[in-house]
Amino acid sequence: MAEGTTTVTDLADAAERQKRLELKELLNKKYKWLDWKWDLVFWTTAIFVVAAAGDITKQLFAGDWDFWTDWKDPQWWPVITAFATIIIPSALQYIQWAAWRFPTGATYAACCMFMAAWVGRYFQWDLAAHYPMNFVWPVSLVCAGILMDWTLMKTKSFILTSLVGAHVWAFAVWAYNYVPLAAFLQPAHFMDHVITVADVQGIAYIRSQTPEYLRMIERGALRSFLGETQYVSLVFGGTVAFFGYWVGQFIGRYLAVWPIRRYLKTL
Amino acid sequence: MAQAQAVQKAQKGSGDGSMTSGSPVNPMDWSVGWHPLFWGCGLIMLANVFFWYWNYAFMFTAGLNSASPEFSMYYMTLFWGELIVLGLFSGVWFGWLMRTGRAIQGQECSPAEEVRRIAILWSLIGALSVSLYMGASFWPNWDGSWHQTMVRDTALTPTHIPMFYFFFPLSAILAIGTYVYGRFHIPALYGKDKGFPWSFFLLISACVLECMGVAFNEWGHSLWISEEIFSAPFHWPFVMYGWLASGMFAVWGETILRLYEVEKIEEEANSEASLEPNMVAD
Repeated sequence: MAEGTTTVTDLADAAERQKRLELKELLNKKYKWLDWKWDLVFWTTAIFVVAAAGDITKQLFAGDWDFWTDWKDPQWWPVITAFATIIIPSALQYIQWAAWRFPTGATYAACCMFMAAWVGRYFQWDLAAHYPMNFVWPVSLVCAGILMDWTLMKTKSFILTSLVGAHVWAFAVWAYNYVPLAAFLQPAHFMDHVITVADVQGIAYIRSQTPEYLRMIERGALRSFLGETQYVSLVFGGTVAFFGYWVGQFIGRYLAVWPIRRYLKTL
Repeated sequence: MAQAQAVQKAQKGSGDGSMTSGSPVNPMDWSVGWHPLFWGCGLIMLANVFFWYWNYAFMFTAGLNSASPEFSMYYMTLFWGELIVLGLFSGVWFGWLMRTGRAIQGQECSPAEEVRRIAILWSLIGALSVSLYMGASFWPNWDGSWHQTMVRDTALTPTHIPMFYFFFPLSAILAIGTYVYGRFHIPALYGKDKGFPWSFFLLISACVLECMGVAFNEWGHSLWISEEIFSAPFHWPFVMYGWLASGMFAVWGETILRLYEVEKIEEEANSEASLEPNMVAD
């Protein structure tokens, strides 16, 4: 019995060694036409479509909270932003892991979205509409992307990444962006009221087409002054980010990878 | 000097053995298989710079009221100009693709030529990627800053005119044209006998549905909520249609797999060729 077990183990080891040799050979194989240009073109041109998908998802699901400092409140911002921003990084995380075992997809998507958001804010909000950048700066997702990729690298499991990584994502998005936001949450005495500096910006820079905003900001808990609302929102943000993560997984699995070499109909 | 460079280029072209009747130079040269990438992206960027400066120059002086004569002069002219340019471009390009495609239908192509064609397909996909970025990120940012802070007027506004009526249809034209190119030039993947690929079905659907989403969105604005809230539900279809553009990754994936097959075909052909002299010697 013991001999039999040893033999099976030896065979398994030999098979593993053989597989590694084959993989090593494949890694060092010289191709005639498959060279670095394909990599360069792929990684460069994919930036634009990833930026487009990520930025439109953020703008149209959570844009209002991302466009202005006075909307980055402790009640809704950590919840909605976490959900809207995790979707495309999750899809890229699946694609890059499935294709190359690279735990880099979320970081790659976060960098693409960072580029798109800053180009948009600078050219369209600052230069064209004349809002100062310190009023319309976008959130950065790079730190959250690195942490979520690290979670995947360590767990090698999408389920664990969705459970742990989504909460890490929600917390990291808030914590990383709280650093630039903190200055705008300082209290200010303005027209006989104590309000935040962000509120003063919202009053000073007119948004003529947005009457709804005034009501929503009034309710939007800037005046809760960082009570426990903040922490409840962060936990709930992680919960909705979990669902957002699986929306992204659906995109990566069934809209990007599954269709490879599948056809609707054979004529 | 120029002569030396030409000789070097010719040596490089023939050095890897890819001199075939279908492809006289190395298909991987930047100036051979990849040149549509530079032309395509360059032209899209040029158009974008033109629209940006046009809006920057005229949006406050002529773009605030769609009933004004200035608006007709600057923006309706732009609108009709865009449609004419896109109509002409798509007619000429699709016609050329169909004519040249039918001419080569059924003809065999060398591995080197197939590699060149896949590089051209990737170039077209790259240009489409840039167009999608303009339509889904660059211009929506301006649309946000315009509507939320200036005015929501009609379906034709200074920001809608480049975004909805140029970059959205341009993306649809590029997606359809890229498929037509693959349909005739890369039959091993997209030939008639294969059926319609899911990858292009999703990619084309994304671009076409974005155009159709404009109608729904403007209808929603006209009846529902006049002021602009970006996260309002009638904006959400734009997002979900955009997700379908993930089919682009499937196009990349299936063409990479085909490239490995082409490499294998070439490798086998070379090994057979190297065996032949030995067989004669034996």
